Amino acid sequence: MKTQVEEINRNIYDIKNKDEYDFKIKKGITKEIIEEISDQKNDPEWMREFRLKALEVYNQLEMPTWGPDLSELNMDEIATYVRPKTKLNTSWEDVPEDIKNTFDKLGIPEAEKKSLAGVGAQYDSEVVYHSMKEDLIKQGVIYTDMETAIREYPELVKKHFMKCVPVTDHKFVALHGAVWSGGSFVYVPKGVKVEIPLQSYFRLNSPESGQFEHTLIIVEKGASLHFIEGCSAPKYNKVNLHAGCVELYVKDGAYLRYSTIENWSKNMLNLNTKKAIVGKNAQMDWVSGSFGSKISMLYPMSILNGEGAKTEYTGISFAGKGQNLDTGFKVVHNAPNTSSVVNSKSISKNGGKCTYRSLVRIKENAKNSKSSVSCESLMLDDFSISDTIPVNDIQTDEVEFSHEAKIGKISDKAIFYLMSRGLSEEDAKAMIVRGFAEPIAKELPVEYAVEMNNLINLELEGAIG
Amino acid sequence: MEKLKLNETPVRTSRNYNMNNIKLENIEIPAKIPSFNNVQITGNNSKVSIDSQTSKINLKYGLNKKLLEQLDLYANQKLKLTIDNKTNKETIINFKLDEKEPILLDNIEINANEQTNATVIIKYETTKNVKAFHNAVIRTNAKKDANINIILINLVNLSTDNFISIQNNFEENSRINYTIVDFGGKSSVTNYYSNLVGDNSDNQMNVVYLGRENQLFDLNYIGELRGKKTNFNMEVQGVLRDTAKKHFKGTIDFKKGCKRAKGNENEVCMLLSDTAKSLALPMLLCSEEDVEGNHSTATGKMGEKELFYIMSRGFEYKEAMKLMVRARFNEILDNIKNGEIKNEILQEIDSKLD
Amino acid sequence: MSKLLEIKNLHVNAEEKEILKGINLNINKGEIHVIMGPNGSGKTTTANAILNNPEYTKTEGKIIFDGQDITDLKTDEIARKGIFMSFQLPEEIPGISVTNFLKYAKNKATGKPVKIFEFKDELKKYMEELNMNPKNMERSLNVGFSGGEKKKNEILQMLVLNPKLAILDETDSGLDVDAIKTVSKGIKMFKNDNNAVLIITHNTKILHELKVDYVHVLVNGKIVKTGEQDLAEEIEENGYAQYK
Repeated sequence: MKTQVEEINRNIYDIKNKDEYDFKIKKGITKEIIEEISDQKNDPEWMREFRLKALEVYNQLEMPTWGPDLSELNMDEIATYVRPKTKLNTSWEDVPEDIKNTFDKLGIPEAEKKSLAGVGAQYDSEVVYHSMKEDLIKQGVIYTDMETAIREYPELVKKHFMKCVPVTDHKFVALHGAVWSGGSFVYVPKGVKVEIPLQSYFRLNSPESGQFEHTLIIVEKGASLHFIEGCSAPKYNKVNLHAGCVELYVKDGAYLRYSTIENWSKNMLNLNTKKAIVGKNAQMDWVSGSFGSKISMLYPMSILNGEGAKTEYTGISFAGKGQNLDTGFKVVHNAPNTSSVVNSKSISKNGGKCTYRSLVRIKENAKNSKSSVSCESLMLDDFSISDTIPVNDIQTDEVEFSHEAKIGKISDKAIFYLMSRGLSEEDAKAMIVRGFAEPIAKELPVEYAVEMNNLINLELEGAIG
Repeated sequence: MEKLKLNETPVRTSRNYNMNNIKLENIEIPAKIPSFNNVQITGNNSKVSIDSQTSKINLKYGLNKKLLEQLDLYANQKLKLTIDNKTNKETIINFKLDEKEPILLDNIEINANEQTNATVIIKYETTKNVKAFHNAVIRTNAKKDANINIILINLVNLSTDNFISIQNNFEENSRINYTIVDFGGKSSVTNYYSNLVGDNSDNQMNVVYLGRENQLFDLNYIGELRGKKTNFNMEVQGVLRDTAKKHFKGTIDFKKGCKRAKGNENEVCMLLSDTAKSLALPMLLCSEEDVEGNHSTATGKMGEKELFYIMSRGFEYKEAMKLMVRARFNEILDNIKNGEIKNEILQEIDSKLD
Repeated sequence: MSKLLEIKNLHVNAEEKEILKGINLNINKGEIHVIMGPNGSGKTTTANAILNNPEYTKTEGKIIFDGQDITDLKTDEIARKGIFMSFQLPEEIPGISVTNFLKYAKNKATGKPVKIFEFKDELKKYMEELNMNPKNMERSLNVGFSGGEKKKNEILQMLVLNPKLAILDETDSGLDVDAIKTVSKGIKMFKNDNNAVLIITHNTKILHELKVDYVHVLVNGKIVKTGEQDLAEEIEENGYAQYK
């Protein structure tokens, strides 16, 4: 039997606006270009120096020697800074019509009204909209764009900026350090529980350009937050680059859930870096849905530094024609009684390639730690690829570690069972695929679960669910 | 003294994980290879012919080029076994390295003809204190419908470097049961590659390893499923104590066309000390839809409840521990039907745990 | 009596091996039929062949249902014509709850949108009758269900989908006495003059609870004897030895 699940419906995401901008830097990465970005952005001196230092590191580091082939990426062809024709706004009314329309179609203002406590929206290299509910402001929660944060909370930013993810981590982090622009800054004071999620949405419209937003979140002791990140771009013929960086500080007893629905266009190289430092008895949960991009290399990481710290990763990737999604999770157990749970799923179809690549490292001092990993891969045809490449590094004996992985196709028996109840073959397969993705969908807020299901486009809407 | 880089994985991953290969320092690769005669071949198999006409070494993987070249040019033991019997009989090849002959480069080629059935036991041991060097290549070709058991036993001492490259080729309906008992060596580095080309071919691979003191095991096992309805099953049970260390790299690679193939990989490592280290990379690579692939790994210490139960029956800790390790290994060691050899292995387990 | 199912000289292969070697069977509306036979005689193959499971190949013969040739229809088309099969080993489908699945399947069966409240009431009623734990409804279809729960869930699906012909493949096997009673109760609730039931079994316990019209003995891919309820009793006493 041949499986046919519809291609992801991208109509909404593919709407291109004219490449209009206030300023677009010339292509390439040189000292002059970095200095010009710094000038354009009115950086404080320390940031200017930081960028130049990062550039030096970038020039020294080599490209990854593993994973997807990145040879089509030519940094001389990428404009790393594109400032849209608007300033930062706090009301959608003030956002220029074409940009606002884009976010309307993506459902952002609507979601803000219905289910979010705050929203940030970035268009190309700058944040064009930021707003948060009044009561959170009163409780001392800060949610703003990174540029404002640098101006208004310089000490807080300086203390944390690229300390969790140092520029020496890898080449694209160094690049990010040199050219970063936009992104969100969140600070949740001690004990404050933000009950409704905050969301930042990143939209890259400009062709042959890159987006390098920086997200920095600090959740203080005993506080909690759910942060959602969405991203998309219309499709162009030449490659675009996304090399964002997410740094999360989850202090003692705090809770942070970081959800991502990534739906970049299929000309995007998504080389993103996300890392969390998790304190004593704190918990960091990742929910990650990867659907878009031509190539993704994305491995969120939790460093469990405090005793009793916990982390969970729930991820799904869906690779179709021409896509190579190399994703996974990394966790370092660096204190006693820490625990991690990983649940990863992937679907490969129509020649797409999914790779699950991971690291579980339990260090010698992490006595009584637990880690359990489960990954499942579904092959929907015989010309797609699915690889599982997990590294498990166990350095002490007082641990419980287990890893399970499965690979295979949709069971013919299950299809027959559902068909015997009157479902067509397509419906039966779609239902099984949707059931396969369900553990991830249920981790997402309802609107996003719906968006994910739309993305899989199983056309079961209304009938099921 | 040289720095040796060997045992590359089929797919690279981040260099920081130290999994792409192993680099060994201070390895003395002998430049001059003296002769080696201390080999005993016994058994009840009259339909095995043995000569030294081994073919040119041409492996897809292997440990590294240099070690394979050395074997091709200077092997001091060449054994080509041609198997013709239909009922399962046993051949035992026993190499013993000692002060007089501390260097062994053996090139073993096992050709099992159509519909044959045989067991080949290959055992390496050393005298107690010799600092020996062992480099081997073992190739097996299983013709149509052949059914071969190979049992590889490494009992060399802890001053010896042990290098083994293995390659198996499978014709239609052939089956190889490969059992590896990997106990010896300062460093024991094995590259194992099965090429399951023939439809319905089957490879059961069972490994036990047991490390103590500063031993290092680097195990790179690769199964490529190419034929239809092929089956590759890898079961690895290990125990590490003291500061012993193992790198396990297991790959099941479903190649395009291997419809209805199955691959299983189970790797379990018991740590008996908080300074023992277990690094594992169990890979599943898949370019075919109609397959079933599973892998599972588990690492941890001995079950405390079981230990308590056994000790409550009057066993002291060490005895209880031995019992539990034996229990772990038992299922795999049951593949060894030769009572004498099995006993020797059980004794080795006990002495390694003392 | 009007004809519902007619099987004519059916030959079926599984993995190249001939399992059914010419089966003939007629089932009218309002009847309960039983096919009995030892392990490996072709009972499950018969059920799967009616539903046209692609794992089995029909080499000869015809299946007529409700006046239409369904021999080569796809499984879902056959199901939508009104044939239901209760599986011996129901598949586990993770991520889809029993309620959602049934709602969807019912929708497909009737071609009309399901009225949610009526549907839930109906479901609740049936579940009470079948002694089922209402919590199971929100669990994934058959995932982690015990053997008995799976079988009851099959009967529940039969009641909800209300087919013209229900084929119960070893629905009684592995069940305790109480569960068998519950299953029989489900069959009685389902049965009326306009539908029919085909029970496939290798033991006779379930037959104590039901009144059946015909018993067919299937041995080595052929129906070797057809009788009434007393034939089942005879087999219970003497086994299949005499038919081999």
